[in-house]
Amino acid sequence: MSDTDARLHLHHASDHAPGDEPVSGHEIAEGLLGYIVGLFLAALITAVAFFLVGTSLVWQPSIPVALLVLAVAQMGVHLVFFLHITTGPDNYNNVLALAFGVLIVGLIIVGSMWIMTNMNHNMMPMNMMHM
Amino acid sequence: MSIAARTTAVGLGGEGAAPSVPHELSELAQKRVIVGYGFWIFLLSDIVMFSTFFAAYAVLVNETAGGPSGRDLFHLDVVAFETAFLLLSSFACGVASIGARAHRDTMYYGAMAVTALLGAGFLFLEVHEFVGMIGIGAGPQRSAFLSAFFTLVGCHGLHVTLGLMWLLTMMAQVFAKGYRPDILRRVLCFALFWHTLDIIWVAIFTVVYLLGVVV
Amino acid sequence: MLGKLTWADIPLDQPIPLIAGVGAFSIVGLVVIYVLLKGWGPYLWREWITSVDHKHIGVMYVFLAAVMLLRGFVDAIMMRSQQALAFQAPGYLPPDHYDQIFAAHGTLMIFFVAMAFVIGLINIVVPLQLGVRDVAFPTLNSVSFWLTATGALLINISLVVGEFSHVGWLPFPPLSELRYSPGVGMDYYLWSLQISGVGTLLTGVNFVTTILKLHAPGMTYMRMPVFCWTAFASMLLIVAAFPVLTATLAMLLLDRYLGFHFFTNEAGGNVMMFNNLIWIWGHPEVYILVLPAFGVFSEVFSTYSGKPLFGYRSMVAATMVICILSFTVWLHHFFTMGAGADVNAVFGILSMIIAVPTGVKVFNWMFTMYGGRVRYASPMYWGIGFIVTIIIAGMTGVLLAVPPADFLLHNSLFLVAHFHNVIIGAILFGMFAGYTYWFPKAFGFRLDERLGKAAFWCWFVGFYLAFMPLYVVGLMGMTRRMQHYDNPAWYPWLLVAAAGAAVILVGIGFQIAQLVVSIRNREELRDTTGDPWDGRALEWSTSSPPPPFNFAVLPHVEGTDAYWLMKQRARERGAPEPEPAYQDIELPRNSATGFVCAFFAAILGFSLIWQIWWLAALAFVGAFATFVVFAWRDRTEYRIPAAEVARIDRENRAARRLALAQMEPAE
Repeated sequence: MSDTDARLHLHHASDHAPGDEPVSGHEIAEGLLGYIVGLFLAALITAVAFFLVGTSLVWQPSIPVALLVLAVAQMGVHLVFFLHITTGPDNYNNVLALAFGVLIVGLIIVGSMWIMTNMNHNMMPMNMMHM
Repeated sequence: MSIAARTTAVGLGGEGAAPSVPHELSELAQKRVIVGYGFWIFLLSDIVMFSTFFAAYAVLVNETAGGPSGRDLFHLDVVAFETAFLLLSSFACGVASIGARAHRDTMYYGAMAVTALLGAGFLFLEVHEFVGMIGIGAGPQRSAFLSAFFTLVGCHGLHVTLGLMWLLTMMAQVFAKGYRPDILRRVLCFALFWHTLDIIWVAIFTVVYLLGVVV
Repeated sequence: MLGKLTWADIPLDQPIPLIAGVGAFSIVGLVVIYVLLKGWGPYLWREWITSVDHKHIGVMYVFLAAVMLLRGFVDAIMMRSQQALAFQAPGYLPPDHYDQIFAAHGTLMIFFVAMAFVIGLINIVVPLQLGVRDVAFPTLNSVSFWLTATGALLINISLVVGEFSHVGWLPFPPLSELRYSPGVGMDYYLWSLQISGVGTLLTGVNFVTTILKLHAPGMTYMRMPVFCWTAFASMLLIVAAFPVLTATLAMLLLDRYLGFHFFTNEAGGNVMMFNNLIWIWGHPEVYILVLPAFGVFSEVFSTYSGKPLFGYRSMVAATMVICILSFTVWLHHFFTMGAGADVNAVFGILSMIIAVPTGVKVFNWMFTMYGGRVRYASPMYWGIGFIVTIIIAGMTGVLLAVPPADFLLHNSLFLVAHFHNVIIGAILFGMFAGYTYWFPKAFGFRLDERLGKAAFWCWFVGFYLAFMPLYVVGLMGMTRRMQHYDNPAWYPWLLVAAAGAAVILVGIGFQIAQLVVSIRNREELRDTTGDPWDGRALEWSTSSPPPPFNFAVLPHVEGTDAYWLMKQRARERGAPEPEPAYQDIELPRNSATGFVCAFFAAILGFSLIWQIWWLAALAFVGAFATFVVFAWRDRTEYRIPAAEVARIDRENRAARRLALAQMEPAE
């Protein structure tokens, strides 16, 4: 029917798309299980995060750091169980792209905050009074 | 959106029969990889765009210009509901993509409808929050902090709105065309989009709402 | 009903832009009428406007770049002549108009000349070099092009309806805020960049996917030609940097349209944050443009030296290092903004480090020529001119990367000279080299060499005449964008600079003549084999111009310089490869999606600029409907039967066999 000579040659024959379930589409139960585990973990982390904000049981200065750690953990859960970005060999390209994205996001946010904070200290704008 | 542009003969013109020749199966699989990867790259660029809004928010978060701060404005109970809606809709979206791959009508349409309802519920809560804030004079024009807040959270809300339009289009497409390989690739992309919106929401509820109340 | 738009917005009081605008649009109108009268409309519609073939889209990009280059160059001539006349005099351009000219010049040259040229060449060449039939998403590619064209159209409409930005090629607040730029000029700038920015981002997504996922059999990453690597780095930077531009301009739009306070002076807005955000995009943008130019030169030096590129692996590594490093230096554009010494020092050092991989590249190019059988064709002229020029640009760049020096040179004409040194000396020379080098591939005949060399010498000499004086007056303290001045020490230098612009004008004249003469003599200049320069990469292994399917059978790649290896083998064998078994080929069908979508985008942009909200809503619905209609198609491909593939391929094989017979046996 179409040209047998594979016109799109891929580097890894077993390469797969991000978001694809590794199991075949017909194994519904197995696929569902992944999403249920993901939902459970994500809900748990979210609950802990919201609990931390309301509680006085935890040493207060540690809460912001804890919240950020929980957020990163939850993003990891979403990536693995919902988007199926794992570290398997067939996922190499997807993970590499994600790593590049994370690097850029980090540079933008950390760089901007560093530059702007440093400049605000250096230049002492008028509204420093309330700080 | 040119996802359909390279469909093979298999499944053209609504023949829709399962591919019988092995190499065509693999070519379709390759196409699925290419489309998924391309969309993944697009999503990463979208995440970079959000990171710019996050950076602006982080720089401007204390610039309240004498107006209300996050601590005065945020209602964490509403945020908890929004979070729950979005997380459940992300799960429902996952179920829908399994249903699509398995060609199960009830599973696909049912889960997509649930996804849409939960997404609409999220949007309703968000709009309600925005309207309430504007009503008490805490609109985006009030201060740089509020400008950054409305832009960051509003941009996410805009994505959810576009996602809903896409979702309804995908339900209509499967209804009209069946589970054709090119349609299934679009379902895959939609699912990626929807899950990514939830990841961005995790960053928003943590950085904006929870830290806004704590710090 | 029509928002802010009234008859008063037609600038009848300003003759220069009005006459120029009316002139330009009537020329375009006449061309359109001529084309329609000749009956070429259906051909244009079928083969170009709705084409999703990467080669045709690439040619349209280059055409857009060439037209916009002329427009931008007219602006340049006006600025140079204004500064030559405005010594203790007002000159002929009023300040308001002069401001619009330098803003339009920069905007057009960066976004619609350099970007379009780079993306055009990448479109034409990369799929051929990878040995595949098209890009990953062909229709998306067409959408990208037409959105870019929409942005260019909107900027040119501003000549006749309303005004253009007065602020410069980057809209720095607070000047760009509503209070200080109340007119629509700023909105023209912002919306045309937002629309074309979407197109550029989609191109980036498309080519990152293409280069990583589509390859001929055996074309591993480390066998890809260096141009593909540089295109990959450039497209990766687009994907990472253009969202930042979109977000930053969106913030400015929100400030202007809805009264937000991102960059305002009041309510806690932070003007400096704009500098920070725009340069997070702005610095990688330089490398988005220059890396593909480096790639072109890598191809050119290796082909015309008859040698493999020296240090292929180090070239790839240098490209990727520059790609990442370019994201870590943005603060060097605003050393003077007020950050502390520690921040400035870190970014200064990082900026200087970029010179290292770039230096690696320069040495690699020179070692490629060393010991080779160098043929001095005109792409080599551009190449050698580039090496000399880029070294000066690099050294003045390292100078500017030293924060204390930058405090003296910031915003001076020294800076202007430096970045023109990069953009003309590296990017534009690279694009012209690529244009000459790949012209026969795109059109099937070569460009006239004599006129090409004449054009090079005019550009080369003209560039030095025009910009070396700017280094000097910059060191003397002349700031950029001065409409008039009264320092007698600057005056002679600015006269020289104006003369340099005139010499470049002659160069452009030679390029136009070269195109006309080459078209007229196309039969003598015909490239029958598809390999006019004894090339090394896969694009030369197919006919010129390539058939719609590029390769009758996908080539099997066995190393770097894939086509060179094939030719070696054929020479040893004394015969070309045996004829393959031809099969039907399926290709994506044409689609008007890109054009229709751009039509709605143009209306959307125009109505947003003039705040005609109902029309904007209508246009958005139209664009969405276009996509849905596109998504509803059932037949997305057409088939070329095996017999037709065989007929086309046999013609080319016969020509190559003839060429092989005339060649010496294997050395």
